[in-house]
Amino acid sequence: MKKIVVENLSKKYQKNIEAVKKINFAIDEQDFFVLLGPSGCGKSTTLRLIGGLETASNGKIYLDNKDITNLDPKDRDLAIVFQNYALYPHMNVKKNLSFSLRLKKFSKNYINSKIDEVSKLLKIEDILERKPSELSGGQRQRVALGRALVRNPKAFLLDEPLSNLDARLRALMRTELIQIQKRLKATFIYVTHDQVEAMTMASKICIMNKGHILQIGSPDTIYNKPNCVFVANFLANPINNILKSDITVKENGIILKIFNKRINRNHLNFKLNHNQIFFSIRPEHIYLEERSDTLLIESKIEVVENLGHENILCVKFNSTNDSLYLRTDTTYKYKSGENINIYIDLKKMLYFDSKTEKILGE
Amino acid sequence: MNKNLELADRGFGYILVAPTFIIILAVILFPITFAIVSSFFDYTLINKSFNNFIGIENYINSLKNERLINSILVTFFFVILVVFFEFILGFFIALLLNSINKFKTVYYFILLLPLLINPIVVGLIWRMFLHPQLGILNFLLSLFGIGEVNWLGDPHMAFTTIIFVDIWHQVSFMIILLLAGLSAIPKEPYEAAKTDGANIIDCFLHITLPYMRPVIVITVLIRLIFAIKTYDLIYIMTKGGPGDSTDLISYYIYRSAFISLNLGEAAAMSSILLLIIIIITIPLFRYMDRLD
Amino acid sequence: MKIVKSLLLISLISIFSFSAKAVTLNAIMENVPDTLFIQELLPDFKAKTGIDVEFEIMGYGEMHPKMIPSLTASTGSIDFMPVDFYWVGEFALAGWMIPLDDYIEKDSFDTSVYFDSMMELVGKVEGTTYMLPFYNYAMGLTYRKDLVADATHQAGFKSKYGMDLKEPTSWDEYMNQVSYFTGNGTKYGVVNQGSKADPVAMEWSNYLYANGGRFHDENWHGELTSDAAKNALADYIHNLNNHGPTGAAAFGFDEAFNVAAQGQAYSYITYNWFMPSYEDASQSGVVGKMALAPVPNNGSLNGAWGWAIPTSSPNADAAWEFIKWVESPEIVAKRALMGGAPTRSDAFNNPEVLAKYPHYGALKNILATAKNFPVFTYTPQFVEIMGTELSKAIIGEKSIDDALASMNSELEALAKKDGLYK
Repeated sequence: MKKIVVENLSKKYQKNIEAVKKINFAIDEQDFFVLLGPSGCGKSTTLRLIGGLETASNGKIYLDNKDITNLDPKDRDLAIVFQNYALYPHMNVKKNLSFSLRLKKFSKNYINSKIDEVSKLLKIEDILERKPSELSGGQRQRVALGRALVRNPKAFLLDEPLSNLDARLRALMRTELIQIQKRLKATFIYVTHDQVEAMTMASKICIMNKGHILQIGSPDTIYNKPNCVFVANFLANPINNILKSDITVKENGIILKIFNKRINRNHLNFKLNHNQIFFSIRPEHIYLEERSDTLLIESKIEVVENLGHENILCVKFNSTNDSLYLRTDTTYKYKSGENINIYIDLKKMLYFDSKTEKILGE
Repeated sequence: MNKNLELADRGFGYILVAPTFIIILAVILFPITFAIVSSFFDYTLINKSFNNFIGIENYINSLKNERLINSILVTFFFVILVVFFEFILGFFIALLLNSINKFKTVYYFILLLPLLINPIVVGLIWRMFLHPQLGILNFLLSLFGIGEVNWLGDPHMAFTTIIFVDIWHQVSFMIILLLAGLSAIPKEPYEAAKTDGANIIDCFLHITLPYMRPVIVITVLIRLIFAIKTYDLIYIMTKGGPGDSTDLISYYIYRSAFISLNLGEAAAMSSILLLIIIIITIPLFRYMDRLD
Repeated sequence: MKIVKSLLLISLISIFSFSAKAVTLNAIMENVPDTLFIQELLPDFKAKTGIDVEFEIMGYGEMHPKMIPSLTASTGSIDFMPVDFYWVGEFALAGWMIPLDDYIEKDSFDTSVYFDSMMELVGKVEGTTYMLPFYNYAMGLTYRKDLVADATHQAGFKSKYGMDLKEPTSWDEYMNQVSYFTGNGTKYGVVNQGSKADPVAMEWSNYLYANGGRFHDENWHGELTSDAAKNALADYIHNLNNHGPTGAAAFGFDEAFNVAAQGQAYSYITYNWFMPSYEDASQSGVVGKMALAPVPNNGSLNGAWGWAIPTSSPNADAAWEFIKWVESPEIVAKRALMGGAPTRSDAFNNPEVLAKYPHYGALKNILATAKNFPVFTYTPQFVEIMGTELSKAIIGEKSIDDALASMNSELEALAKKDGLYK
């Protein structure tokens, strides 16, 4: 049984703004399901629809095979962790954690044992008497999480919970969240715009843009087999190299015209009614020495970005005006203006229809 | 070098503040001091001199004066009832206004109108409306078979009537301030509460009220102080009557100053009133401090 | 540029110093018809003397407190003033009025034309003339003469009470008429102005005098606990509660007048200057139906305003010019024709005036017989106290005896304070 099923879900606001356009997906038990996309793509709206904070204009939502589309948030048995924590500012941590339980009139013993359990798990036992204004950002985030954990809900909905934390804390919390989810065997639906979070935490990534779902799949699949330019560009670190090219279709293969060279790729077989494509190559698939099935390009280094643990080079071609990004280690100190030979791994190239931007092949 | 600069800075600061300070001194401090000083003398408008020092005689006479005591009691009940109902009604309306989007400005404007009307005009208009034979209110009631209501001629009715008119006039004050407070409350805690299982009453008690506490205290405090000073309504509508059922203290002190011409005694009564107001408001101020 | 500036300055200064010669007189006046009549005639004064006059018009209650600051200053902003008879004692004691005897002598102003009662009330104080009477507001009985003339009612009244239905000359007659006409011919037999302080105190004084009572004796010993006073208060309460409209206990004279003017009441004891308003179709529904009579049994309460010049007046001489003008026979006649309530007897002998205002005949009688309210330093305060006590008796909070007893002792206390009690 699927844990959560979303069927033809849409949300329309006044003035005909459609934030979510007829989307469909299913989430399994114990999934860490990440809704990923840029600002305004509809991922937060989708989460809020599932949680009940917004009402759907159309479509259905099922939880454990039960139709929850028209239920109030409090009847859905889902817990939400908000981006700015939304703690109750006039209650101390203990009261914040126990609020939902007190409303449901659970026994004092039960409430105290739950608080014990959760505060140990999140390591917030020492701050139970403090008020939210006396907590740091990281502590508040834990309390927000704790508030959700205490309820033992059917699933957890997290709306960009780490985006207000600094880089280090974010990394630490990422690990903790993964551990907690595994330990509790919980189902998480997680919204973020940060592809690093998505890649590291998700069991399934659902990429959205402009209210539509573009692709759903495991991080691996999404990264290595994107179904369109947008997905390929979105999950890239630091950036995806994408360029235009003319092609000639032959009987048993395609001839690419890239970097002023004609390359035969005989295993490729696209159906196209025009002859322009986009091709992409990730920076980590551009090498500084020759390997099998690589293409040599002569180029000049434009910019060297030193990240501490590696360098990112931006190189420009001597023949065309295209630039490419590649990654290198820090043994050699590259300088801008230097000439450099780079080798593009042709096995790793992806090809997209320049008009539809959908994937054609690799 | 730094010290001199700091002193020059301070000096300049004092110069900038001086004009305002002088005005405050002249317009507020001087009259109050003059009034308090004259309360210890036999100072009347007929004989404007400070020749007759009589110590606290004015105060003792005031406190023995059963009309003044009556006035204080009438004012006490008036203020409590008026502030209470204006608060409840105002809060209720503010909550309603806060939750709608369409036509908000229209409702806001209509609700604001009574407050903008000069209190004298309010009194006159309502006196016309409340005329037992010729006023529109009794006419409308008669359409439902209700007999002539003696709005201002019966002592209990008159007291109720002035409370009602004051509420009509001043409730928008509460609405404005409370609405401002409500609109500053962030939305997220409500969303968290909804998912946690809170209903409307829970949200109100656990989120709205705690957030609104400082605003409520200030609003009630301000309205309380102004309510004690209600004068125009009584002057126009009842002149403190019938009997002395609506003899609010501001009106009483005014009469002793300008009809009896005994400024010294009026000043003593005003000082007593000032003291009462201070005693009431100090705990409220302390409470506000604690909130921060 | 500098030359132009200094030329401008010089010319401005000279203009202002010239205009400083043209005097403007300022006064605070009551919002009553007599003030408005004078206002219409002001251009005549300007033409004759070149002096401008500015009135600041307001309701009765606001005048006293507004005038006091000017009166107590060494130079005030009021040049001349109307003085209500209540305030005469107070103003005289405080020395706020300039004696007018010298002015009167210098200009040979004839003061004999004023009714004695007027000069006594708002003219002389202990022998010195401080004021010239301005207009009177003696109270009288206004009643529906059309109802009295009606044959059916005449028959009905005679059979019920055994007396003829006519303009009442005795108090019992009047009380019977009030009773008779309630719900019969009109809704209410009477409308009272029972509002605290001024209205109820003035109206009840008529009841007191009509019952043969009085406020105090020659030595200012109070006589408000007499049987006459008790009957007067009992009559008043009886009328207000049984024969008058609901809410009369809070009526000022505007509310009460409106009830009468709408034809809902047979009678209303009130100020005589309301008569022209009854004849004004824009305000009244009983045009031609109301008549004025003295309050039976010489019960009418006198009242009047006088013209005085404050001691702090910035333009005392010019102020006298105004007073001389406004009380000149010519101007008084014009005021009377407009509907004013004069204080000079020659106005009442003017055939034009009498033709236009038939009620002046009755008014003359009233002025001849009206009785004064106790006038002393603390009159305003006594009116306040009367108002409160009467109001309490009306609503039943105090018994008639208790209310009168309080009034009486307060009167004596104030009289002692003023040194009048012997």
